Amino acid sequence: MIEMHDVWKVYPNGVEALRGIDVRIDQGEFVYIVGPSGAGKSSFIKLMYREEKPTHGVVLINGVNVKRVRDWKIPHVRRKIGVVFQDFKLLPHMTAFENVAFAMEAIESPRRKIKPRVQEVLELVGLVDRMHALPSQLSGGEQQRVAIARAIVNNPSFVIADEPTGNLDPENSWDIMYLLEEINRRGTTIVMATHNKEIVNTLRQRVIAIEQGVIVRDEIGGEYGYED
Amino acid sequence: MKSEVSTVMKIETLSRHFREAYRGVRRNAWMSFAAISAVAVTLFIFGIFLIFAFNVRYMAAELDKQVAIRASLAEQLTDDQQLQVLKQIQSMPEVKNAELVPKEEGLRQLKAQWGDEGTEIFKGYEGEGKNPLPDLITVEPKDPQNIKAVSERVKSVEGVNDAVFGDGVTDRLLNLSSWVRNIVLIFGLGLAILAAFLISNTIKLTIIARRREIEIQRLVGASNWFIRWPFFIEGAFIGLVGAIFPTIIVLSLYQVGYSILGAGEVASILKLMPILSLGIYVTLCIFALGIAIGTLGSIISVRRFLKV
Repeated sequence: MIEMHDVWKVYPNGVEALRGIDVRIDQGEFVYIVGPSGAGKSSFIKLMYREEKPTHGVVLINGVNVKRVRDWKIPHVRRKIGVVFQDFKLLPHMTAFENVAFAMEAIESPRRKIKPRVQEVLELVGLVDRMHALPSQLSGGEQQRVAIARAIVNNPSFVIADEPTGNLDPENSWDIMYLLEEINRRGTTIVMATHNKEIVNTLRQRVIAIEQGVIVRDEIGGEYGYED
Repeated sequence: MKSEVSTVMKIETLSRHFREAYRGVRRNAWMSFAAISAVAVTLFIFGIFLIFAFNVRYMAAELDKQVAIRASLAEQLTDDQQLQVLKQIQSMPEVKNAELVPKEEGLRQLKAQWGDEGTEIFKGYEGEGKNPLPDLITVEPKDPQNIKAVSERVKSVEGVNDAVFGDGVTDRLLNLSSWVRNIVLIFGLGLAILAAFLISNTIKLTIIARRREIEIQRLVGASNWFIRWPFFIEGAFIGLVGAIFPTIIVLSLYQVGYSILGAGEVASILKLMPILSLGIYVTLCIFALGIAIGTLGSIISVRRFLKV
């Protein structure tokens, strides 16, 4: 569960990215975060994986206050969260398999567990036959599927996706969405920032619209709508 | 969930860190080479200093062993009276040992010190009544630092004409060595800091090169130490490699010097330290220092450039 109480994010240059956010996202939900560029979506997302700390207010991830948590405990908070980016952030010198395995190695999973688990998630994202390819040999959609595999390989309770379809053509975008839906069906919470109106309006889920740093709408099964 | 503070690192993880560190060194081969060279130069200077310092300490200790007061006895004393003076000196609490050296023995020792020439030079002094040396009592104080006071006391004993000791040889040696030591230490410290910064620079390059990997590791929840370890190992490795050459060179030079100076018997008071024991000390010190400099360099960079 993610909770935010009266969260403000003010950057050193004085920009107020978030102004008093109150929100609660329960386990198993699928949530779209929508809003114009510069509305505060990125700050909102970054608070959730503790890339940023709130200037004011409380962010709780599974009950842990991310502002108060000791530095050495932050990794354990992050292990509950998988993150997917618009630009995939795959390591170019590693194969698809190695990119996914890298996430397991980083949390010191035993080697004997790594191979079967990586194969399992690559199967889920439909890339078992491409697992020895380098990112440069994969299409954008395939790269994003590798990134999703990496995000879920350590069994997080949340997947936070920042414009996951932003760099993809419509067909690949839909593949990614079906994949995220499937992951959500298996119990993982999905929080996804997006500009894709068609997706939001077709795969109806909870929509949180942010404008000028405040939540202007929070509606289950809502539409994309905000004034561009 | 595993505990962060698990003290035993898994072999798998450890070998991974070493691989990662090795990759870092390879990746910045030239920077690593520069850093290793800087460490090597620094440690070479330290090595020379260490040899110097160990030898001075060794010599001072040897000298201290030899420090003895020579009390010359009045000529007219009979053998019995000499023995009484000896007993009186031996009974002083600050005296460790006292020995009677008759003038014949004194002459023999003198001749021995001059070697082959001695027989020639001192020929005329042999035989009854010709020996100009006094009978001596050599006194070894318990505490060499206390030698002056002891010699005063010995001098005041009746039947003792004079009491002398090798005034301040040890002191002067130690004094000189502390001067040289300070100069070398300041110089060496400057070099060590320079070397540490060079290492920190190569580590910085590795951190930059691995920026994306580190970002992913952080995102998926790698522990801070998991991310840092390879950099510490890389720094320590550079320090370690930088220690190999200076150790070999310094010890080889010492070996050469040692054999040129007649296997440490250049003069009876300047005895060089044997190469084996010196070698062990110097090697340990240089390697420890190299690793310390390397680790320090990594710490500087990790603290400045590695956000965890």
